Order: sequence, then C-alpha cells, then structure tokens
Amino acid sequence: MIRKPLRPLARILDARAKGENPDSIERENLRIRHEEMQAKSRHRAEGRLLVLGIFFLCAYAAVAGRMGVLATSEPREPVAAAPGSVIAMQRADIVDRQGRILATNFETHSLYAQPPQMIDPIGAVDRLVEIFPDLDRERLLADFTGKRKFLWIKKKISPEQKQAVHDIGDPGLLFGPREMRLYPNGSVAAHVLGGAGFGKEGVSAAEVIGVAGVERQFDSYLRDPANGSKPLQLALDLTVQAAAERVLDGGMRLMNAKGATSILMDVHTGEVISVVSLPDFDPNDRPRPPTSGDDPSVSPLFNRAVQGVYELGSTFKIFAAAQAVDLELVNSETIIDTRGPLRWGKFLIKDFRNYGNALSVSKIIVKSSNIGTARLAQQIGAERQQSFMDALGMLEATPFEITEAQGGKPLLPKNWSELSAMTISYGHGISTTPMHLAAGYAAIANGGRYVSPTVLKQNGPQLGSRVMSEEAAEAARIMLRKVVTEGTASFARVPGYQVGGKTGTADKPKPRGGYYDEKVIATFASIFPAHDPKYVLVVTLDEPSIIAHGEERRTAGWTAVPVAAEMVGRLAPLLGLRPQVDPAEVTDITLTSN
Amino acid sequence: MSYLEYHAKTTPSGLRKILYLNWPLTLLLVTAAGVGFLMLYSVAGGSFSPWAEPQFKRFLLGIAAMLIVAMVPTWFWRNISALAFFLSLLLLIAVEFFGSVGMGAQRWIDLGFMRLQPSELTKITLVMLLAAYYDWLPAERISKPVWVFLPVLMILLPTFLVLRQPDLGTSILLMAAGGGVMFLAGVHWSYFAAVIASAVALVSAVFQSRGTDWQLLKNYQYRRIDTFLDPSQDPLGAGYHITQSKIALGSGGWSGRGYMQGTQSRLNFLPEKHTDFIFTTLAEEFGFIGGFTLLSIYVLIIVFCVATAFATKDRFASLVTLGVAITFFLFFAVNMSMVMGLAPVVGVPLPLVSYGGSAMLVLLAAFGLVQSANIHRPR
Repeated sequence: MIRKPLRPLARILDARAKGENPDSIERENLRIRHEEMQAKSRHRAEGRLLVLGIFFLCAYAAVAGRMGVLATSEPREPVAAAPGSVIAMQRADIVDRQGRILATNFETHSLYAQPPQMIDPIGAVDRLVEIFPDLDRERLLADFTGKRKFLWIKKKISPEQKQAVHDIGDPGLLFGPREMRLYPNGSVAAHVLGGAGFGKEGVSAAEVIGVAGVERQFDSYLRDPANGSKPLQLALDLTVQAAAERVLDGGMRLMNAKGATSILMDVHTGEVISVVSLPDFDPNDRPRPPTSGDDPSVSPLFNRAVQGVYELGSTFKIFAAAQAVDLELVNSETIIDTRGPLRWGKFLIKDFRNYGNALSVSKIIVKSSNIGTARLAQQIGAERQQSFMDALGMLEATPFEITEAQGGKPLLPKNWSELSAMTISYGHGISTTPMHLAAGYAAIANGGRYVSPTVLKQNGPQLGSRVMSEEAAEAARIMLRKVVTEGTASFARVPGYQVGGKTGTADKPKPRGGYYDEKVIATFASIFPAHDPKYVLVVTLDEPSIIAHGEERRTAGWTAVPVAAEMVGRLAPLLGLRPQVDPAEVTDITLTSN
Repeated sequence: MSYLEYHAKTTPSGLRKILYLNWPLTLLLVTAAGVGFLMLYSVAGGSFSPWAEPQFKRFLLGIAAMLIVAMVPTWFWRNISALAFFLSLLLLIAVEFFGSVGMGAQRWIDLGFMRLQPSELTKITLVMLLAAYYDWLPAERISKPVWVFLPVLMILLPTFLVLRQPDLGTSILLMAAGGGVMFLAGVHWSYFAAVIASAVALVSAVFQSRGTDWQLLKNYQYRRIDTFLDPSQDPLGAGYHITQSKIALGSGGWSGRGYMQGTQSRLNFLPEKHTDFIFTTLAEEFGFIGGFTLLSIYVLIIVFCVATAFATKDRFASLVTLGVAITFFLFFAVNMSMVMGLAPVVGVPLPLVSYGGSAMLVLLAAFGLVQSANIHRPR
C-alpha cells in the first residue's frame, strides 16, 4: 500500500521557512488520512448493508406473502389422518390371485403395569386374575408389591378384556397399541403364509416380523413403507385352496395316512394355485417349533410339499421315457426287453408282477415296469440323465418363494453311476420334494419347457428353457393318459375331465438304512385336462393303508389316485374348466299341452 | 482510541442519559412484548398463570437490564467483550457436564432462581466479540486469510458446542449472525462466495450420490433428511406441528377468529403452543392482519437499529448494533418461516413473544447495547 507521507519534506521546509509549526502539517495530514479511511470503510459498509437489506426485504416478502397465502387457504385436515392409520398400515396385506385378503393387520392392545403408580395393587391383582384366568396370582402379587417399576401383563388383549381392565380403574394399569397380524381364513394356506411374531417391543408399538413362509421371505417388502401398503399378491386361489384342503384332509383320513400333501400348479406360468400340507396349523396361533431331537416331519409346521424329501418312486418313470423319446432312442411303440429279473452286478431289479418278456415303451409306463424303465436308462446313460434331471430342476432346492423351500434340497447319489441311473429312472436313489415333481410334470404338460414354481401371481406364461422336444412331451402326455385309461391309475377316471398321470409307491427308508416293508409314500402325479393340459396336480400320502377287497392296500393306485380324482372333480370347476360331457342319448322332447 | 473517546464530553451523563434513549425503539420493544403477554394469557385459557405472569416479571427484569446496559458507555462493553465471550464459552462447556436435560437436549444450567441457557448468552457475546475484533483490526488486514480465519474460529467454537447439546436452531443462528457481522465488517466477497459454493457443492454431492454405489449417507438418513425438509410427507409424525399450524393460519383467515377464540391452540392440537409455535395462536386469533402487524413491529425495530448504527461514528457501536439487528431478524424470520412451513422445524423462539426467560433477558440486554450506542453517540 502506497501512502502519502505525513510529513512531506517540501511542505515542512516551506513551513519552517515561514516560521509555522511543522507538526501541525502532520496533524492535518493525519486527520485527512483518517477521514479518508473512515469514508472509505463507511462507503463499503453501506454497500454491504444494502446487500443485506435486499436479502432482508426478500425474506420479509416471503414471510408476509406466505402468511397471506395461508390466511386465504382453506383449513384442511391432512388426508392421511385416518384413525389408527399410523400403526395399522405399517405392514402390507397379503392377498390371493383374486385380491381376497389372506393376511392383514388388526389393531389390538397390550397390557402393562407400572406398580409404583398403582393405588390398590392387591385389589387389582384379584380383578386381573378374574379377567385373565391364566395369570399366576402369586407371581403377579409379588411383582405388583415388589420393586419392579414396569412389567408386561399381556401382549395381546381383546377389546372386551381391555374394557374390563379399564373398568378396574387403576392408573398403574396401562395399554399400549399393538399391530397384530390377522389371518382371517384361519388355517387355510397356513404353510404358505407362515406367520408373524413380534420383534422389538416397546410400550407404544411393537415391530411385527414374519417368522415363516411368505411372511418371512418377503418380510422386507411387506415392511417397507415405500411400497405404500400395496398388498403382496400371491398365485394362490383362496377358494381352490380351501376346497383342496378339505378334500385332501378327508382323503388322508380315509386312507389312514399320517400326512398328506398336494400341489396344484399352472403348467404355463408355474403359479402354484394351491399347495396343501397336512397336518397344518392356524397361523394366528402358530405352534412352537419342535424341540431338537424329534423328527421335524411330525410337527404340523413341517411343510411336506417343499420340505419333505422323498423317493417318489414310479412317478419318475415318465421322465426316463420322455428323455428316451427326446433323444430319439425309442418311440412309444418300440419294444423293450423286460425279462426279469434284471441283474446288474450283485443288484437285482424286479417288477411288481411279471409283465412278460417284452413290452412297448408305452406299456412299460402303463404297467409301471421297473425292468423296462431301467433298460431305457441304460440306453440313455448316466451323464445324459443327470443333465436332464438338472434341466428339470431336480438337483437343487426349488425356487418356490417361501423360506422353508430352501431346506428342501434333493438327496442325490454321491456317484451318478450306471446303476444309479437305472434306479433313478424308476424313482429310487433320488429323493426330491413333491414340488420338484410338480415342476417336472409341468414341463411335460406344457410341451417341454421348464417352468419354475412360484408363489407370486404372474402375468402370462413364464416358460423357461426347453427341456425336451414337443414331440417327446406329446408322447409322454399320451402315455400318462393311457396310465389312467388302461393302467395303474384307473381310479382317476373323473367324469367330465380327462386326467393323465403316473402313480408311484415307494417304501419309506428307515432312519438307519434299509426300507420299511409296510410304510410307503404313495404319490399320484397328474395332469389335466389330458388333451391340452393346463394344470399339474401332485398328491402324496404318507403311510396310507386301506383294506379293499379283503386285502391291505398301500399302493398309490388304491390310495393317492382316488384322492387325486376327487380333488380334480372338485377343483376343476372352480378353476373354470368346462366338463366334457359325453354326448348322451337324445331324449325325445314331448311338447305337451294340457 | 476510538472516535467516541474524543467526544466523550459531548455525550450526556448521569440520569440525563435516560432522555437520550432511543424511545421509539423502546416503545416498539414494549409493544412486541405486550403482544406476547396477550398471547400467553390467551393460550393459558384466559389466565395469567402459568405463562403470562412469569413472562411479565422477566420482562421487567429484562427492561432493567437493558437500562443498566444502556447507561454504561459503549467503550466499556467493547473492552470486556472478549472476557464476556470467554465466560459464555465456559458456561457452554459447563452445560456439557452439569446441565439439565430438557426435551431431549442438554441446554440449561439451573441457577436456582432461573434456568440459564448459555447458548442464548453466546448469541450476543459472539456478536460483541466480532464487533470488537473488527474495531481493533486495521482496515487493510480485514481480508487477509489469517485474520479471516480467526473470527471463523470464534464462530465455529460455540457453534460446535451448541450443536452437541443438540440445538440445531441456535447453532444456525450463531453461524448466520457471525457471518453477517463479518460481511458487514467488510471481509472480501470471495470468502463468502467460497463458503456458499462449497456448501452448495457438498449438499448437491450428498444428494447426487443418492441411489448410486458410492452414496455418502445411509438410506434411512436420506429419508430423515426428506422428512426434515418436507415434513408434509409425514403429516402425523415429524410434520404434525406444521400441519396443525397451517390449519391454524387458515382457520384465522383474514381478520382472525377473535381474541381467545382460537380452536387449534385452545383444544390442544398444538404442542409447544406457548413457545416456538405461539405465532400460530396469534395468526388464528387475529388473522393475517394481526400476524402482519407483528411482522411490521419487528421490521420497525430493525429499522431503528439500523438508523442508530448509521448515526454512531464508532465502528464497534455500529457493528454491535447491526449484529443485534441481524440476530433479531434471524430469530423472527426463522421462527415465522418454520411455523408457516417455509423452513424445516428447528427450535427457534419468536423473539419477545415466546415464553422463555433466557431468550427474553438476553435479547433485552442486547438492545441495551443498541441503546448505549444511541446514548453515547456524538451529537
């Protein structure tokens, strides 16, 4: 900064010459400089003040303007202020394919106590025990009179109970709102829905979390407020599901089975319209999981459709036949040598009965010949069979979207040898869930494309990669129909609906190796309508046994097939399938005139 | 030696000083406080307790404080401003350790006869310190980085402490008022431009990164910011205050429902109706006209402050006066915009009207500084 000197030499000398005081020049200059600086900074400050002033005016205008706008606006309550909406709307509903409610929320209350605020703890205990007989009087008394400042009494209470507790009138008894999951249809679709429980709990709210089924699988979706309480739509049809459960339950009792499962699946979309596993439970009051050590399959929580891994027996034969046709090794009329027993090393493959020395491929399926199927498997070979099974999704857990399905991993041979290939061809040495089987049959029924079973509603067909040629699928479909018309599944002749399918009866394995003689898993895997299949229905009965014609019968033809037939007869109309009525004799029409 | 001291002789002395008070300003302050008593009387359902009476007592105390501060020459306040700032900083730290917790934040020190809120005190001591600093600093150094860094540190230190309590409203006020004084003192434009630019860049970076792989905040944090900025997304939670106060303003309409006739506040729809949200009661009962009148009173108070600042030749006095004006402006501007949903809800009271001891007392003492500047200005 260049400054003007305070004592300019010329002026000082000039002043001295005139005899003036040179210091006054300095004072004068100092004063001028001071004033200049003052003026400069004042000028700048005024500029700054102007800027702030403009900013201030803007703010003033904004506030005043806003005040005017609000003053002229209509006072209006916010729309979202529906009663109870904060809590009740937190978790999205679950609906069936028609939009009918499967799971929703319900507002209830919890009851807690703050003993220090209680007026008459002993009286309150007596009244509480009257209202809730299951409460422990002594313990409650100890809690109320002791040092505890807070305790839960009941997690969920009904409105009537709430009123009764309210009438006690004790200020130390308090209620907190609780969102509760409600399954209005009770046990219908219990295994799919799973259930919900409380996570973190506070006085004013509790977190609802899914503990099983779709509730758990889609927990984060259901809880995410960003979805705006848009319901989760399942592929299930409530009506069909309820009917299926009733029929299967009746069938299970009739056949003296200890458990049963059925799966009804759309062959083009993979949508599971109904899936039943019995015994079941009420998701509103979910039973406790079995303690370790017990066989989990005894618990009603066990979902046989996706968790039950069974050898499904002869139902697998159709895969061998279809693959053999697909590879053009045979056609359905090719004659196969079925002389028994078939010996492979020290292993013998036998048939249920002797079906003669030779059968066509079609007859092998119709008669359910183990030897014939094993011969087909020999031609196919282990490697090709393995990749075929892989393409059908038989080597991994099903992608069905409920938590339990991940546990349904198939049991496969450690070494997929020629012998394994032969046993697998008739459904032994490979254990899968009924859901796997349904997906496999769907591929045959829809013309050879894999579909992945899904619990969610789909828009239109969801056909996956090609598993077999359309011709092979067509041949397999005709064979399946023949099993019903002339083979082991003759009970599946449902009036009005053409059913095709394959029976399978497999001995149950003992836990320590070997097989039971008298305990079987009886399965009927069917497709309908057989000429243009739309649905797959798999019915599996666990340890069925009936007496028919004076003999104890366990095979699927006597047990699973009649149950499946009844189900088709009941469900097909609900699915909107028109019965094909055989043209009856035309009766004469009489025009009467009285 | 500042200009004032040369002219000490021309300034009034003794009790004659009272005559030289800025009387219009005093009158406006009393009017604003009077509106406060009216409203507090109304929200209590037509009763002096529990709010109007203690508020009135504290107002008298505040007026006394204002007069005392006004009597003391401005140079004295300049000389002790560093000490005052240091003391208020100590109190802020003391609150960390000995403070009582109120409404989820640690803000008070209980002195027995009143609860002291050191953050309120800091608002004014910070302005004093900055004014004294720029009074002392030679003009050519004002924009040198080192001499800019120093006052920035002075502002950030208390801001940080207040933010820890946590009290977002006061820390915003501290930063804005401190920045305002620096701006008026003549710090170069480029510093403010840089700060504003980097703030904008930071905010936009945070929001731009949303949804990408390298997003800077967690999703729930973004959601919280969303509700903070736009409470109407959550009308029954964070947005409850705003929703209800908007209803109150709409219900008041042009001329209001009449004194003591407001339903929103009377029926307890509004929490905090006697403190931060008292403006809604005013707007409901006296309508747009009432609200606008109060706003005008506030504006006039600012105008008189600015006039005083112009009249005085002393740099400290004018900076302090303008600093007080800025603080006052921020108070009511932030409060009103927050009540009307223009700004997010941060706890800032309506000056002189809201119920609250520390704020009233400190604010009146600050106006004492303005009065002092007015009395001791050269004539």
